[in-house]
Amino acid sequence: MQVIENLKVKEKVYIEKLKNGLIVMIIPKKGIQKKYIIWGTHYGSNDSKFIVPGEEQVTEVPKGVAHFLEHKMFEQENGRNSLDVLSSLGVNANAFTTNTHTAYLYEATENFYEALDEFMDYVQHPYFTDENVEKEKGIIGQEIMMYDDYPEWKVYLNALEAMYHSHPVKLDITGTIETISHIDKEILYKCYNTFYNPSNMCLVVCGDFEPEEILKEIEKRLIEKKPEGEIKRIYEKEEETIVNPNVECKMEVSIPLFTLGIKCIPPKQKEKVKTHIAIEILLNMIVGESSKLYQDLYKSGVILNMPSFEYEFTDDYAHILVSGASREPKKFFDEFNQEVQSYIENGINEEDFARIKKMIYGEYVKEYNDVANISRMFLNDFMRGINSFDYLEEIASLDIDYAKQILVDNFKKDKMLFSVVKND
Amino acid sequence: MKQGIKLHTINTNKFKTNLIAIFLSIPLTRENVTKNALVSSIIRRGCQKYKTQEEISKKLEEMYGAEFNCGLDKLGKNHVLKFYIESINDEFLPQDGENMLKQSIEILSEIVFNPLAENNGFNEEYTNQEKENVKQIIEAKKDNKARYALFRCVEEMFKDKPEGLYKYGYVEDLENIDAKNLYEYYKELIDTCKIDIFVSGKLENTNIEQLIEQDSNLSNLKEREPKFNINRPEEKKPKQEANNIEEKLDVTQGKLVIGYDVEASKEEIENEKFRYIGMLYNAILGGTATSKLFQNVREKASLAYTASSSFSYYTGNIFINAGIEIENFEKARDIIKEQMEAMKQGDFSEEDIENAKKTIVSNIAGISDEQDTEIIYFLGQELSEREVSLEKYVQFVQDVNKNEIEDFAKKIKINTIYFLRN
Repeated sequence: MQVIENLKVKEKVYIEKLKNGLIVMIIPKKGIQKKYIIWGTHYGSNDSKFIVPGEEQVTEVPKGVAHFLEHKMFEQENGRNSLDVLSSLGVNANAFTTNTHTAYLYEATENFYEALDEFMDYVQHPYFTDENVEKEKGIIGQEIMMYDDYPEWKVYLNALEAMYHSHPVKLDITGTIETISHIDKEILYKCYNTFYNPSNMCLVVCGDFEPEEILKEIEKRLIEKKPEGEIKRIYEKEEETIVNPNVECKMEVSIPLFTLGIKCIPPKQKEKVKTHIAIEILLNMIVGESSKLYQDLYKSGVILNMPSFEYEFTDDYAHILVSGASREPKKFFDEFNQEVQSYIENGINEEDFARIKKMIYGEYVKEYNDVANISRMFLNDFMRGINSFDYLEEIASLDIDYAKQILVDNFKKDKMLFSVVKND
Repeated sequence: MKQGIKLHTINTNKFKTNLIAIFLSIPLTRENVTKNALVSSIIRRGCQKYKTQEEISKKLEEMYGAEFNCGLDKLGKNHVLKFYIESINDEFLPQDGENMLKQSIEILSEIVFNPLAENNGFNEEYTNQEKENVKQIIEAKKDNKARYALFRCVEEMFKDKPEGLYKYGYVEDLENIDAKNLYEYYKELIDTCKIDIFVSGKLENTNIEQLIEQDSNLSNLKEREPKFNINRPEEKKPKQEANNIEEKLDVTQGKLVIGYDVEASKEEIENEKFRYIGMLYNAILGGTATSKLFQNVREKASLAYTASSSFSYYTGNIFINAGIEIENFEKARDIIKEQMEAMKQGDFSEEDIENAKKTIVSNIAGISDEQDTEIIYFLGQELSEREVSLEKYVQFVQDVNKNEIEDFAKKIKINTIYFLRN
């Protein structure tokens, strides 16, 4: 096993690539009661058009299959539901689907290995029937409707729709009631067989484990499968421009909600971590807790809380989102815009840069407090080709000139858009 | 430390951080609820040492992103003002000698006990801005429809009682509050409330008592006979029939909340076991993915994405929540009633009980893996004047038997059916 140690947080990760292509990552945590395991496949809501390894023609499936599959994986041929089985062992099991991956997980303080039997069994044995697929449409339909009542979700999705011309990241992960109505068991099996091959998956465990031992336990429970070739994923070519600089939608909210989006050029593999850190520093400087912009807008009552912000990226898209609530959302947009221009023209204050860098370092260290957080982070970063420790290593050497360049390259005025949800 | 002020230390080496919490607890009343919300939001704006939020933020950023947080909680009949600071343990910092723990105690105690004041009042500007802010928070109560539905059900069940109050207060009460009378109130609050200070982290080589004593803001606090309500549920008077409430808002999905009373005698409530029997009852009814509600409302009838129950020990209630299609109201209500009836008839197995115990015990085992969860657990014990260690907690849960759960089920009476629809 490959071992990578980080001296700053004093943690190690053990990495093994098995014969069937599966990557296993183990992060031992002595003395912690909780054990966490997460098994992800590099298959998310974005992947609805692809070429199955060995085939020539393109396969296209309805939007929402990855999420639908996630729901249906728990059903077993013996009539049992694996979520129930895991739950009755007293472990906390769950699953989720993102734009780029689907993950199954549980957290246990006891019965970890009994749960591991069930867990690895169900992820490797799908069981879909016409009847159980139909039934699920009702439950997912309710889930879609539940999200319809969240203005925070609407304002976010509208921003993505205004940002992307064709990339599926702009669509709801669940699909719509219409698209899921076309899903049947043949589609589910086809997607399962394509994307749930071990060579397209990664398993992360974190807790009080001996790395060699837990690796053996995992290997013992794997069924025989051969690694497959590359899955070719097809996304329409996305233009660099945005679709629409302004979108508005009416919903019952006590105060207008906004999401400000900036479309960016996806970073090159080697630059991903540095770009990500630099953008986090910049966003904190521009609109973070101690920023002049936030303090002024708060004092004048334009915003009442710190906006949240994030930088999202994969190999084929990247964007910045700043979200919050404001009585005068337009004012927030204009002032944010102006502040960015002033940073570009006047440069970055060195003292502020150094202070925010210290803060971001602290944030990275805090990520290592909790087994669930650690496991999810390692999986999520792995899906983007990153080892999570790199953030702790790269931050020290990141300098102000690099940040300036990232600012100029990414915070472009004509790539900025504004989504608002308000009452009337 | 002094009468009415208690220091709790949790020495653990599981974390990269130290977490310090200060809790101020006082009886929840309509008169004070809005003032408390406002106090909590004004004092984070500035203190004598760091007069503006900008100065506070810069100081925290300089401390490797130490995180200050505040919040309000309604725990039974008490209102708890919560203040936290989380900072990195020195061991994980790039340079030595920072003494982050000492710095953290200093800044937290300064914010809570030495706020910016002028002419015997809070800063006028901060007061006015925070009145607006609190007003907005109160008005936002309807934004999350599921949470709003639960709150409304509780409000209906506890009309004119402290338990039914909204923890952020009431817009109409804001008018009469100004910088001066609020500061007067604040001083009285600080002198009379129950104060609990928690420090959790790797503390083995630290003299924490000494650090606290050296802090001038903390050592200046006066002894007090703290005013707070010991948190125990009350005996319930039998209710003749259920209260039906329907409210309309712009929702796509209906939110159904049913509130039940646990009609137990004083003696039963005083018994320590009451809490643990209730937890097991709830886990079997609607607390887990194998529970009756999840299985029957969601999985079998495919009626809902969420269907669960919760047990509120402090108030002695069970609440059921379900997000359903509006036309399915009757269907869902009837299935829920059937499940309640099944619980009364003892229609659950030893296996169900074992599974529920496993889930609860596993959650207890995880408490010490989360700094804030562990602190909140011990605060709950403190406010109900119990001293149940995590080991004893597990024992209590293991000791509950089927008869006790059935008896508990028979004491449950429907109080209010609340439905939020379009």
